[in-house]
Amino acid sequence: MGIRGRVARLVAELPQEPEYPAQGRTLFVDLATRELQSGYTPRRILETLLSGRGANMFYLYRLLDESLYPLHPDVPLIFGSGILTGIVPSAARGNCTSWAPESGVILDSNCGDYFPSFLRMNGIDHLVLYGTCPQWSVMLIREGQVEWRDAAPYVGLDNIDMRTRVADDLGGVWARNMSMVNVTRAGEHGVLTAGIMGGPKAIYARGGTGAKMGSLRLKAIVTLGHTHEFPTPKPYKAYNRQIAQKLLGTSVVKHALSTMGTPFLYRPSRLLGAMGTKNNQETTWTDALDAEHIAPYRPGMEGCFRCPVNCRPLNDLHTGPGDKYGRGDGPEYVTLGKFGPNLGIDNVEAVIRLNNICNDLGLDTASTGSTIGWALELYQRGIITTAHTGGLELAWGDPALVEKLLFMTAERKGFGNTLADGTRAVEKDHYPPEALKYRMAVKGLMQSDPHDARILKAFALGLAVATRGMDHLRNRVTLEINAKINDDPAFKERLYGGPVSASPTSYVDKERAVRCCENIYAVGDSVGMCRFTTQLFNSPSLPGLEEFSNQIANVTGFELSPAQLDDIGLNVMGVERLINFRLGVRRKDDTLPDRWFDEPNLHGAHKGEHIDRAEFDAMLSRFYDISRLTDEGIPVTSWRNELQAALEGGSF
Amino acid sequence: MAVTVRLPAMLRRGSDTITITEPVHSIAQLVTALDHAQPGLAARLEDTIFNFAVNDEMLTYGVDHHPIKDGDVVEIVPAISGG
Repeated sequence: MGIRGRVARLVAELPQEPEYPAQGRTLFVDLATRELQSGYTPRRILETLLSGRGANMFYLYRLLDESLYPLHPDVPLIFGSGILTGIVPSAARGNCTSWAPESGVILDSNCGDYFPSFLRMNGIDHLVLYGTCPQWSVMLIREGQVEWRDAAPYVGLDNIDMRTRVADDLGGVWARNMSMVNVTRAGEHGVLTAGIMGGPKAIYARGGTGAKMGSLRLKAIVTLGHTHEFPTPKPYKAYNRQIAQKLLGTSVVKHALSTMGTPFLYRPSRLLGAMGTKNNQETTWTDALDAEHIAPYRPGMEGCFRCPVNCRPLNDLHTGPGDKYGRGDGPEYVTLGKFGPNLGIDNVEAVIRLNNICNDLGLDTASTGSTIGWALELYQRGIITTAHTGGLELAWGDPALVEKLLFMTAERKGFGNTLADGTRAVEKDHYPPEALKYRMAVKGLMQSDPHDARILKAFALGLAVATRGMDHLRNRVTLEINAKINDDPAFKERLYGGPVSASPTSYVDKERAVRCCENIYAVGDSVGMCRFTTQLFNSPSLPGLEEFSNQIANVTGFELSPAQLDDIGLNVMGVERLINFRLGVRRKDDTLPDRWFDEPNLHGAHKGEHIDRAEFDAMLSRFYDISRLTDEGIPVTSWRNELQAALEGGSF
Repeated sequence: MAVTVRLPAMLRRGSDTITITEPVHSIAQLVTALDHAQPGLAARLEDTIFNFAVNDEMLTYGVDHHPIKDGDVVEIVPAISGG
């Protein structure tokens, strides 16, 4: 059955009235014919997976034909906003879901800024896109109604010019009544490390979202419309104020996120000897990139829709108005690490400039930085030569070279065509098979963050089991670096629902902490809460399951206890693993790059630390046990039956 | 005895370092001494965001009893994560 048959069957099963007053519809858009269909996510799915990332997985599970390939137009691209997105402070997030062309496993990417909230303001909770536009198109959603625009004038534009032109042409005002997701030239050219831009810096990154949207010849989706409050069964604003107070009263928000943003983490990672350097050949780097050195270039902070935190640092290199890349948004910690130590660059101005270029070119800084780092190491080792690079000498610590490579990547020009294939460069015959030994990827996805996880075993397990590939935002037990928590075993036990070893290098009980984080982060993504302000990622005292439970009851009328929400988090992971299983993922794929098993850490107090294969395998088995997974990493039969009954209900 | 303690911006009252000269042999004793030098600092250091590095090495557990010796440079490091 093709995608149109699958959509027709699914739409016939969906409720045609909302399940709660604030619910938006799910809009199915055939880009080839521009036919629209809609329905509402059924209550049974909401109570199994919530909305946002969770319900996106329901739609992917039902509509995916794994006999195709990720960039096939019958493989849908799904946007979804959380159940509290646009309603609760700091819940401004939404997810974009598909089959990832970069990795070959699930694509699931989370983004904030304004689009997820403004989509809901237009009465749409999920957008399911399939088919290919007859010509490059812009989908305009104005007060809930879909209009189409010829995108010919915008083809070839990157993010900065695109945002200027669209605002001029449509007459809206960013962040007030207009939002957009768009691809850049990189997305148009099928660059596998391209993202979908959701703002000046905000990006649906990881997995090749930009290549997927570009393959549908959809240049942008723009929302226009006024913001409003939502009808709810019970008042929710008073509780919103409590959540905002809790956010702003949390030390990490007050002292770090609101003042400097995430680059704060660079210094502790560096001091720990866990800063991935030169494609993780080394693990520490210069203090010249510490957050305090970015401060002179930071004129202010901005934030997402109705978020009181404002953690996004702006930058200004003071290079004059003619320099397109002299100012912008960011960098975040990931970009700082991936374009600093990872590439051997020690100049803060250079990193900021490269950050601004990536934001314009629509390149995922995690995947792109990792891909370039991989190439630099292959060149260093003689595995590739100037014969592969078109004559370019690849050297560490050369910002001008990296800048050139970024533009070549976006255009798939010369050696940029190799870099544009990201982790797949061996599969595409650009590199010899030997190159795979130095690829810092899991399940086909380059590592998201710069942290070298040979020391912290919970970090390592999280990266291995993350359903979308090697990514810290799915389950990172960030508080493992926090000595105050490690030194309070009773508190740590309460936090994770059982004992977890105090020593970050120990394997003991780390599976429990990863399970706990994976659940709450999946719930956070499904309610629309930012990861930075969700309990456990940055602080034990940020809003968590209890606050989500209370506000879901106020907003929807659904009574879901914190324990039930925890189960929902597990369900989201379970469905993702069922989809991945259909895509060929097995236990062998829940692993780590060889380097972390075979090469010991070279620096600092943890010199000699590495991942022991037997200990890791035992920890993985324990993780499967407490996660109700079989030996191959999918839900056990009884739970699988429950999930399948919910997903394939037939009649909702 | 001289131990140099580097403070992050949010804990500073003027200088970015404090030199502790009274005898201290552990981080716990150092925190008490810091409170003498800057009253109220010990209470602020109870916040989970504040961690310690000794001679450029982050401490991730066993902090209170971590040994301190003459000439050490201790840094108070705010720790957060990012994306």
